[in-house]
Amino acid sequence: MSTEPQNLTVDTPSAAMTTARRRRAGGFFSAPSGWLSVGVLGMFVVIALVGPLSVDSPSGLGTDILQSPSTDHWFGTDDLGQDVFAQVVWGTRISLMVGAVASLIAICIGTLLGLAAAYVKRLDPVVTTLTDVMLSLPMLPLMILVTALAGPSVVTLITVIGLLSWPEVTRMIRANGLVVAAMPYIDGARVLGAGATRIISREILPAVMPLVVVNVLLTAARAVIAEAGLSFLGMGDPSSWSWGRILLNAQRSGTIASAWWQTLFPSLAILLLVLAATIAGIRYNDSRDPRTRGV
Amino acid sequence: MLRYAASRLLRAILTIWIAVTVTFFLLRLLPADPTLLVVEGDMTPEMQEALRSQYGLDKPILQQYVLYLGQLVQGNLGVSFRQLVPVADLLLSRLPWTLLLAGSAFVLTLLVGIPLGVYAAVGRGGLVDRGVQFFGITSNALFIPSVAILLLVVFGSNLGWFPIGQAIDPDTRGLAAYASLLHHLALPLFSLVLVQLGPYALTLRTNMVEVLGEDYITSARSRGLTQRRVVWRHALRNAVLPALMLMGLQLGTLIGGAVLTETVFAYPGVGRLIFESVQQLDYPVLQGAFVVLAVTVVLANLVTDLLSMVLNPRIRT
Repeated sequence: MSTEPQNLTVDTPSAAMTTARRRRAGGFFSAPSGWLSVGVLGMFVVIALVGPLSVDSPSGLGTDILQSPSTDHWFGTDDLGQDVFAQVVWGTRISLMVGAVASLIAICIGTLLGLAAAYVKRLDPVVTTLTDVMLSLPMLPLMILVTALAGPSVVTLITVIGLLSWPEVTRMIRANGLVVAAMPYIDGARVLGAGATRIISREILPAVMPLVVVNVLLTAARAVIAEAGLSFLGMGDPSSWSWGRILLNAQRSGTIASAWWQTLFPSLAILLLVLAATIAGIRYNDSRDPRTRGV
Repeated sequence: MLRYAASRLLRAILTIWIAVTVTFFLLRLLPADPTLLVVEGDMTPEMQEALRSQYGLDKPILQQYVLYLGQLVQGNLGVSFRQLVPVADLLLSRLPWTLLLAGSAFVLTLLVGIPLGVYAAVGRGGLVDRGVQFFGITSNALFIPSVAILLLVVFGSNLGWFPIGQAIDPDTRGLAAYASLLHHLALPLFSLVLVQLGPYALTLRTNMVEVLGEDYITSARSRGLTQRRVVWRHALRNAVLPALMLMGLQLGTLIGGAVLTETVFAYPGVGRLIFESVQQLDYPVLQGAFVVLAVTVVLANLVTDLLSMVLNPRIRT
């Protein structure tokens, strides 16, 4: 799903630009949704970094087949006797990495195209058309096709998701960049002899930067969902664990109906991570909005 | 009006052309040599050469491209590596199920989403509004297979209210067949709608709040029109149009969701075919599926656009 709530797009960044960083941070954490979402994100980062060091890789075959959750196996075991808790912990690393790196790739491309379209009038129709075309194509089937041809691996997943997720970013950044580009101080910079590159990178980019931050979070949330979807369809890296792959294993072995723990825990992990990233993005946006700041 | 319709049509053709072209060059640029993928095992160089010329791979790439476009126009999507039947036939036998699932999800989302968004906007800050806002953000974060599996386990296996897998009971005839069809459709449809509905209702709410603040609404109120009439006759029309166009843009995501839903419920649509083809590395089917789904989405998008044109007096003139 990629319909971003509309209230994310109406914000004009310039109003909050003069606000001190300290006050902005205070605004962000003044609501429970702020520190809660950042707390959950932080927890996932810690799990991704430390988890695989302290939990054994779920590679070995155990004799405890399809055990329900217990003190030995917190999240139970699958049909091969592998610990589901270990799978979820090891999957965290892949999900986070794919989400973060793919998001950064998409953000770089999307911001660049969006700003170029907002400032350079000749480029605008081309970029807008391309963005609309990309947005209207069914992305998941395209990602499946490309991943299948390139050979499934973590690198492929990151590249494919990153290279195909920029249109949403471009649309948002362009809309906001157009508002900024029409402001008098941009004309001022042009009169002073600044070139297009300088105006885009030194004048417009800082003004839309807060929106870029919001987009990093929202795009990462989408990338996590995309990775889980591809892995669930069997397009994941066969040599590493991911949350989508745990669900795929349950689907393949036909244990969906009997072993609820095998699907519930990775599902909760996906929901928590995506929800935390989305709420952090919305909260960041709200905390900078003069109308809702401090709420 | 004609000009608008023509520009939409042109956009649709452009989109399909880009989708098809991207597919073609992906297939040629990526390292996978189609001839090595047809059959596993030993192949003499002569056999390989024969196969290459059969697929037209020994010609210059531009000539291949023209050949490929020509075949597409004739509806030729190649032959499935594994099942050795034309990909087009395979896809056409599955497409109606995907159209049924995605189409009913589209309609149901509109039918439930519009009242939900309107009630949230009218009673801003109230219980419905808070519910819609919470639901909008949460359902945006739902992973479709998770939802589908949950529904399947609870309502399919545990309670046994709905069948799991397949789209229809082949033994039923007449009215019973339709009942069976709906019975099988319910769970996949519900999981798809649950994920689509939240963001849609939220967007509609935002549009509606904006429209309700416009001058012409105040003027309608001051003329003594009832709240109901103002909301449903005057405001809704202008709030729905952008929302309908947004829904058109969401069709690609909807189809992606259908692919995942069909996989969980073993629903015999194009999505389930994709899942089966991924496991068998059947590239022509994957390619054909993307082209067919892209064309479907673009055509549906075109219909949505033309429909909003009919509804929108500003474009109609």
